Amino acid sequence: MSELAELPPAPDVAGFKLDGAGTFTISAVENAALCRSTGVEPARDGTAHPIYYYIATQVAMGQTVAGLCAVCDFDVEDGPMMGSSTARFAVALRTGGEYRVSGEILSVVRKRSRKLGVMDVLTYRLRLHETGGQVAVETDNVWVLPRKELA
Amino acid sequence: MSYAVGDSLPPFVINSVSPAAMKEWAVFLADPNPIHLDVEVVKAKGLGDRVINQGPINVAYLMNMLLAAFPGGRIESMDTRFLDNVYGGDTVTASGRVTAVDGRRVSCDISLDVEGRGTVNAGTATVQI
Repeated sequence: MSELAELPPAPDVAGFKLDGAGTFTISAVENAALCRSTGVEPARDGTAHPIYYYIATQVAMGQTVAGLCAVCDFDVEDGPMMGSSTARFAVALRTGGEYRVSGEILSVVRKRSRKLGVMDVLTYRLRLHETGGQVAVETDNVWVLPRKELA
Repeated sequence: MSYAVGDSLPPFVINSVSPAAMKEWAVFLADPNPIHLDVEVVKAKGLGDRVINQGPINVAYLMNMLLAAFPGGRIESMDTRFLDNVYGGDTVTASGRVTAVDGRRVSCDISLDVEGRGTVNAGTATVQI
């Protein structure tokens, strides 16, 4: 019997919907501040900084970071860590653009790591839709949720 | 402008990662996690003695490097792994190398390095030029 078999199973939340209730508009003023905070000037052609793929999906997914952790039976105070982030852009994001978010949890996998002990690896997918419904960008994010109580 | 496999992309450097920017990003991300805002919380959690940069800012540095390397280009895809933290005051360098050229599509390996500590983010990207 493997070591993992002795652990309680990871939360069964694959498929949990992360659809946002409202929309996210990329403000030109905020985009300018964001660009400057990363050491560049905003684009003059109306395109937003592409990192809004992450910001807009996180802010408008219908769950706070703490809420998403709670769905996975994890206390945000225990320190979720970003593992990886993938983005696939169909079009550039634009300031003034209004976007809606859809998404879902793809998996939560319990693992044992030499460095972190027991951890859950959460993978979720979010999409930013333009007002016409077209997907502007799709992102898969992986978070590591250290399960100190199971270490 | 032409690109060839093996070409290095011009690096994008942040001389000192700004704790003030982290405060702005807490608002942008609607995420007030205190490890990005309060050094005493970082110390209490045993995570170091400086505030920790939000992960998406590190991705933004990599995007800045790509957009400067390919003026007028559009990032089509990007995949980054978070290997270690970036702290307030760190000097970071985003860099890349061309791995494939297919018409107007250029693929690259990308990385973000902290002076004195090595690679903290690594991944791949494809840019339409």
